[in-house]
Amino acid sequence: MSEEKSDDKEFENLSNVVKGRFGDRLTAEELEQVKKDIKTIADASKALRTVKLSNWDEPFLVFKPYKGRK
Amino acid sequence: MPVREVSKHIREGKISPVELAEFFLGRLEKLGPGFNAVVTVTRESALSQARKAEKEIEAGLYRGPLHGIPYGAKDLLATKGIPTTWGAAPFRNQVFDHDAAVIEKLNEAGAILCAKLAMIELAGGMGYKQPFASFTGPPKNPWNPGTWTGGSSSGSGASVCAGLVPFALGSETWGSILSPANNCGVAGLRPTYGRVSRHGAMALCWTLDKLGPFCLTADDCGLVLEAISGPDPDDPTTADEDWRYKPSAKKRFTLGVPKGVADDAQEEVRTCFEEALSVLRKISTIEDFEFPDMPYEAITRTILNAEAASSFDEFIESGKASELTAPEDHYGPYARTVVLAKDYLRALRLRGVMARVVDEIMARFDAVVAPSSKRVATPIDQEFRKAAPGTTKDPMGAIGNGAGLPSISVPSGFTSNGLPVGIQFMGRAYDENIIIAIAKTYQSVTDWHKRHPKTA
Repeated sequence: MSEEKSDDKEFENLSNVVKGRFGDRLTAEELEQVKKDIKTIADASKALRTVKLSNWDEPFLVFKPYKGRK
Repeated sequence: MPVREVSKHIREGKISPVELAEFFLGRLEKLGPGFNAVVTVTRESALSQARKAEKEIEAGLYRGPLHGIPYGAKDLLATKGIPTTWGAAPFRNQVFDHDAAVIEKLNEAGAILCAKLAMIELAGGMGYKQPFASFTGPPKNPWNPGTWTGGSSSGSGASVCAGLVPFALGSETWGSILSPANNCGVAGLRPTYGRVSRHGAMALCWTLDKLGPFCLTADDCGLVLEAISGPDPDDPTTADEDWRYKPSAKKRFTLGVPKGVADDAQEEVRTCFEEALSVLRKISTIEDFEFPDMPYEAITRTILNAEAASSFDEFIESGKASELTAPEDHYGPYARTVVLAKDYLRALRLRGVMARVVDEIMARFDAVVAPSSKRVATPIDQEFRKAAPGTTKDPMGAIGNGAGLPSISVPSGFTSNGLPVGIQFMGRAYDENIIIAIAKTYQSVTDWHKRHPKTA
C-alpha cells in the first residue's frame, strides 16, 4: 500500500473511532469539524516521523519512583 | 504605577495597605465588569489581609516589596473557600479547600488577593477559535473594547492594563501569557518550566503549563517571580534551587533574531519590530540566525493535544463539553482523544532532540528576539484566523513552550489605530535574570510601558 493510501486509511480509522465513541453527541457539522481536526493531528504525526530517532533518544521525561515520608 | 513605586510609598508610610486595597477593590468592582475581566472580587478577605499587612508594617515587620500590594489571580488558581471556576460554566460553583502554592507564597509575601480574574474556559484547552469562550463573556481589551485581550489569561492582562490591580498572575501552556501581554500592552513573563510550582493550578498539560506574572514593567515581573518561585515537594517538576531576582549588570547584550521571524506578521507589527530592533541596536549586538529545520509545531502540538485530552479525560467522556461557552469547544476535544500513544512518546523523544539543538544555538546569545505576536488584538466578534489570516504559525511559541524556555513580553509600540504591539525576549532555560535585564534596559530607553488606556 502506498504511504498516502496508508495515511488515508489511518485517518479514516481514527475518524471512525471518534464517530463510534462520540458520534451520538455530535451534529453532522460538528463531526465534519472533528474530522478536520483529526486530519491536522494525522498531519502532525506524519511530520514527527520526518526526524529519525535512535534507540537511545529517550522521552524527555524522567520517572522517579515515589517513596512517601514515614 | 509600577509595583516597585507603590511598594516604596507603602514602606515610607505614605499610603496604607488598607487605602490601597480599597482603591483597587473599587476599580475592580466599577470597571472590571465592563471588560469582562473579573470573576470574583474578594473584598472581605482582601481587606482582612490589608489590615493585617498594615499592622505588621506599622510594627516594623516588613515582608518585602510585595507587602501590602493588591493583586489578581487567574481563576485557575485554587483559593480556599473562594470559587475557582476555570473560566468554564460547568465549574462555576467549584470551591477548593486549599490555596494553590503560588497563592500561599503571595500570602507569605504579604500581597493582597483582591480578585479572581476571568480566563478563557479551561485555559483554551478545548480548541477555542474566537474570543467569546468564557462564561464571563468575551474579554474586552481596555485599549479598544471592540477587540479582545488575548488569552487565555484574559482577565490578568486586562486588569493590569486598565489599572485594576498593580500585578496579576496568569499561566501559559502555549501563548496564554504572551498573547494577553501583547494585546494589552503590559509586561508578561513566562518563566522556565518548573520555576514556579503548579500545585493547586488547574492542569491542562503537565509538561507545558507555567505560571507567571503580568505587571506594568519587566522589573516588577522580577519582583513577583521571586515571590512565587521555588522548589515545592507538592510539585516534583519544580526546579531544585530557589531563584533570586538579580538582574544582570550587563550594559550591552547579544541578541539573536531568527531569520524571517516577522515576515508573516501584520504590516504594522513588522514595522514596530523593525523600529524596536533599531532601538535595541543601541544597547546590543544583533545577529540574524536560523533555527535548524525541525517540526517544532508538530512536536509541541502533539504533546499539547495528548496531555489536554488526558487531563480532561473524565470531563470529555462525560459529554459536559457541550456546556462550555464557545460552540467550537463543544466538539473541540474529541479529535485529541485519538492521538496515538506512540506519537505522544515520539513527540516527547523529539522534545529532547529539540531542546538540545535549540540550546546549542541559543548559547551564542543572551536572548532571542521576536514579536510577541504576529498580530495585534483582533475584533472581539471574529475568529482569530479569519481576522488575521496567515499569522498563525508560531515556531517561537512551539520552541519556547516545547523546550520550557522563559520569555518576557513588553510593549514595543502602537499601531495607527492605537493597539499595542509587543516584543519578546526568549532566553535559555533558567535565564530569567538575563531576559528581565534586557527587557528592563529596553524599557529604560523607551516609554511605551508608560502609556495607559483611558478608563472611566
